[in-house]
Amino acid sequence: MIEHIELFFKAIFIDNMVFAVFLGMCSYLAVSKKVTTAVGLGAAVIFVLAITVPLNWLLDQYLLQPGALIWLGPEYADYDLGFLSFIMFIATIATMVQLVEIVVEKFSPSLYNSLGIFLPLIAVNCAILGGSLFMQSREIETLGLALNYGVSSGIGWFLAILAIAAIREKIRYSNVPAPLRGLGITFIITGLMGIGFLSFGGMLTGGDEEIVEEEKTVEVQQTTEDNKELANNTKIIE
Amino acid sequence: MGLLSKKDAKLITDPLADNNPITIQVLGICSALAITAELKASLVMAIAVLFVMGVGNVVISLIRNLIPSKIRIIVQLIVVASLVIIVDQVLKAYAYELSKTLSVFVGLIITNCIIMGRFEAFALGNGPWRAFLDGIGNAVGYGVILIIVGFFRELLGSGTLFGIPVLGDAIEKTGLYSTGYENNGFMLMPPMALIIVGLLIWVQRSRNKDLIED
Amino acid sequence: MEKRTDKNGYTIIFAIIMVVVVGSLLAFTASSLKPNIAENERIEKQQNILYALGVNDNEGDGDITFVSTKEVAALFKTKVSEQLVLESKDGKIIKTMTRQEFMDANNGKEPYLIDVKKQQANAKAGESRLLPLFVGQSKDGETQYVAPIRGKGLWDAIWGYVAVDKDMIVRGAFFDHAAETPGLGANIKQRYFMDDFDGEHLLTDAGVFKGIKVAKGNADPKNMDKTDYEVDALAGATITGDGVSAMIKADFKLYMPYFQNLKKVN
Repeated sequence: MIEHIELFFKAIFIDNMVFAVFLGMCSYLAVSKKVTTAVGLGAAVIFVLAITVPLNWLLDQYLLQPGALIWLGPEYADYDLGFLSFIMFIATIATMVQLVEIVVEKFSPSLYNSLGIFLPLIAVNCAILGGSLFMQSREIETLGLALNYGVSSGIGWFLAILAIAAIREKIRYSNVPAPLRGLGITFIITGLMGIGFLSFGGMLTGGDEEIVEEEKTVEVQQTTEDNKELANNTKIIE
Repeated sequence: MGLLSKKDAKLITDPLADNNPITIQVLGICSALAITAELKASLVMAIAVLFVMGVGNVVISLIRNLIPSKIRIIVQLIVVASLVIIVDQVLKAYAYELSKTLSVFVGLIITNCIIMGRFEAFALGNGPWRAFLDGIGNAVGYGVILIIVGFFRELLGSGTLFGIPVLGDAIEKTGLYSTGYENNGFMLMPPMALIIVGLLIWVQRSRNKDLIED
Repeated sequence: MEKRTDKNGYTIIFAIIMVVVVGSLLAFTASSLKPNIAENERIEKQQNILYALGVNDNEGDGDITFVSTKEVAALFKTKVSEQLVLESKDGKIIKTMTRQEFMDANNGKEPYLIDVKKQQANAKAGESRLLPLFVGQSKDGETQYVAPIRGKGLWDAIWGYVAVDKDMIVRGAFFDHAAETPGLGANIKQRYFMDDFDGEHLLTDAGVFKGIKVAKGNADPKNMDKTDYEVDALAGATITGDGVSAMIKADFKLYMPYFQNLKKVN
């Protein structure tokens, strides 16, 4: 349970998709003019991440990892299909996004119109592919944790776009230099928010404190027999 | 340009300034943040995107009447992804050194929304020649911003350009550093790329008032 | 009116054709280029191992320069005198094979082609792990031991080869990465980072394994102190740096029993 809570907060704040790793920027900047559209897109991103990360986790476990094909029989143990991860992940994501597009078009034409080109672009929203790739490279262990990771990094993205959309609605009443209005100031605000989020980075690494327990290294016991053999082999190369 | 009609030439020149993919269309931001800490990486990425956009736009435009609209996103992504993977494999086999430099960019190119964005917005509705020009124009417009941002980040962040020290030696305190100047390591962090792009937008829009929003 | 391309049947047929065409195209390129790619990777591994041994074409403070691809095979033969394979389980070394023994047991496969990633997976699954250890002569003729290590950076895998002498003092290091951020994490492949490891101790005087930490803001930016178990971190690349510390700690530690024995023998 505790690892679920830890992963949840880590994915939302410390590893925030937008402010910490700067993924999913294009739609974040382009579709954050109004809070309502931002909420719609944010929800779509949570949904797509929540589905694609666990799906890709399954693909990774049973198809892509070295030795993952062992369930087909022991003779398949040597295959490593890792080079296919990109195309497999992308295909899963594109399929899901296409489904979302069809659903949104059907049930909320107004949201569909306001999202415009950025709805299909969720497919290349790097936050989505990033979610799957981070899931793979961080070796998330169970399907449950993968689902948790997908949902919580989606929530992180959702909160980020909600925050910037709210700021943008307020900033209309401020006296921003005319050429900077709109996109320009949004870039700069996002940059400043990103700098703020850097301070979470210390939590990730546990700061500068030394971990004391690592000092006591367990003396590795070798049996006498091993020693003899090892000694023999060692001599050969001296 | 004798080869290009006026309308065609506009396809190339527009994205360079008034319809720039990064500062106006807001496409391809992630890669602009990720790889612009170094000028060399910015240049390599710009060239790679130029290639993929040129070829990809033509391919999509050629098959645009065949693609079923229900699965067009998948088709587009598969075209980019297989294009990139095939090029990556060929380079690995015949130009290994080059492929090592480029391997970092493979993922970034596939998920670069500028490529998908132009597929959706242009290549799906236009003939191959015009799609090709559009691809080239947008890739160059994208590359120009990348190189400007990369220039400032590397110069101010590491005091180098293309890895060559131009401001003197930071450890031995020669050149500009002898006056007490120090590299601003902060320039290497991605948020600074956002701020530089923001400033570029400011410059661009003060020069061309038509682009100002609201 | 519904377009022809909107029909379900058409969509399915299109999808099938696309999968077949793209699949066969990818499979064809992958399989036809495989020998070339494998050869290039083989050369790269040899170059990397030689680099860690100090056998390279570096000039002054410039970029890393490997020995040329033409010379590499011959140099690898003369400079790397033995490729040991240690079989490790639960932190103990249960068996040691020489290159010849390993090749006899594995259809002539050279030990330096052992896939570290796969061995790590084996160890995780509770099986034994094969640890290659290359014994060679550096440029100035000292006997050094090169071990491959592998870990995780920010985006993807990072790996390296570290050369140590018999007291486990680092003599050379080479790091590489799959996809770290250019200008930040990717700088682990720069000479100023790798050269910092030269001379660093991995063991305390009491013989306890400490590893080398890539530390931010340490008090020793020019790295004069070689027994602080720290090298200077790269700006803006905390996670990649931590990855380097972690892979040295996790993978190199497994070799420690071998070096303890080496001491006992002498």
